[in-house]
Amino acid sequence: MDNKKFEQIPVFLRHLLPLFSAVLFVLFFFMPVNSVELNIFRPSIGVICVYYWRLNRPALFGWFSAFFIGFLIDIYSSSPLGINTFLMLCLVGATGWLSHYFQTSSFGVRWFIFALSALAYTLIKWLFLMLYFAHWLPLAEVAVGYFSTVMFYPLIAAINFWLAQKFIPPENINEQ
Amino acid sequence: MKQRKVWLIQFGELKTFFRRLFVVALFIVAFLSIFLTRIDSLVVSAVDKVIIDMTGPMMQVIEFPARVIHRAYTYFYDISHIYTDNQQLRNENKQMMILQNKVRTLEVENQLLSRLLNYIPPADATFVSAQIIAESGDNFTHLLLVYIGDEPVEKGQIVMGEESVIGRVDTVGNRYAKIILITDINSKIPVIIERTRARGILSGNNTSMPQLIFTRSNADIKAGDLIVSSGAGGMFPAGLPIGFVHTVHSDGTVDVEPIADISRLEYVRIVDYGLSRDSEFLAEFTAGNNDGQ
Repeated sequence: MDNKKFEQIPVFLRHLLPLFSAVLFVLFFFMPVNSVELNIFRPSIGVICVYYWRLNRPALFGWFSAFFIGFLIDIYSSSPLGINTFLMLCLVGATGWLSHYFQTSSFGVRWFIFALSALAYTLIKWLFLMLYFAHWLPLAEVAVGYFSTVMFYPLIAAINFWLAQKFIPPENINEQ
Repeated sequence: MKQRKVWLIQFGELKTFFRRLFVVALFIVAFLSIFLTRIDSLVVSAVDKVIIDMTGPMMQVIEFPARVIHRAYTYFYDISHIYTDNQQLRNENKQMMILQNKVRTLEVENQLLSRLLNYIPPADATFVSAQIIAESGDNFTHLLLVYIGDEPVEKGQIVMGEESVIGRVDTVGNRYAKIILITDINSKIPVIIERTRARGILSGNNTSMPQLIFTRSNADIKAGDLIVSSGAGGMFPAGLPIGFVHTVHSDGTVDVEPIADISRLEYVRIVDYGLSRDSEFLAEFTAGNNDGQ
């Protein structure tokens, strides 16, 4: 399929691409991997998607999209309903604010800011769940998951970048 | 013209106000959900079921190619190990033949003793096989999403792997069910150590090894002891194998290794022992007795 065929897709559908791709990524990373070792390395893919789209296409990834992604993660995990939703909303707020300063920065800087954002997200979630369950949660596995999330960022960002270049009309880039 | 401009400004301000209100509403909904989950609200479980049923088919489509690849890999792996597997099975078969004779003798003895004691055996269990279509996506939770189709499945039913308990049904949608694994932090199962009959609670801690808690300080526990369900609380029948004691730490904590290799399962069995109906009956019976007093 060439670019002209992509252009025939209605614009409103192409505007839904960030949300749709984020949903697919989240569901994909819930897939059974049939391995204990690989399970520990599962990244928080929702965090990557929300950060990427909010930073690069803020007009196409708003509060409701983040709410939906957080809600989906809450449903598919046994953590209390609302915790990921709440943190995703906080992430969208923080990324929206950060986008004023780092939108035009190099990829390395944005990756570093992502690492900090994901660290804050993971630590707050870890602390909240410990308080909620009144039980110590092992930090080692959480740390492995966090590093995996940071390492996965370039790959997911590259795929999202390709999707945006291919499908989303260029006039919408950086609009807000 | 001027009036129209004023009106447009007011409309713009109104739009901004409602947008902010919407964001605040989203935060409030998210925050309230956390507390509604805590009190096990019906609204939360209804929303849970709807979302799982909506996204379940999408999940099945995504997972299909991965399942095909995994099956192909397993097929070639099995072929490469066919000789060693065959030798192992021959040895196991010899041992099974000896055990079979013992079991027959014990079965006859059991029937005779049951008749003498007028023992009424519990109803036979029925089970449903369900395909695993999703696993929890982070290190904070340990659960599975399974496809149950039109089979009757209820919340609280026991989920077994090939031979041992792996969890319980948490949420049931129209075609999908969510299963909390024994390693999840929300999982608490009353158990006994088969060798010493010491009681305890097997508590998930989000690692691959749940811990045995609330055991007596002087309980005789050794590595390798078999842990089975105690039947206390009416959620699980007694005697179902769960795991083996892996390590007894000096501070008294006990790590248990589940028998089932949960990560390598493709299908699970959701077993109905009829305990939910018994629990309802017992609750009504207890309530009736209390009213009578």
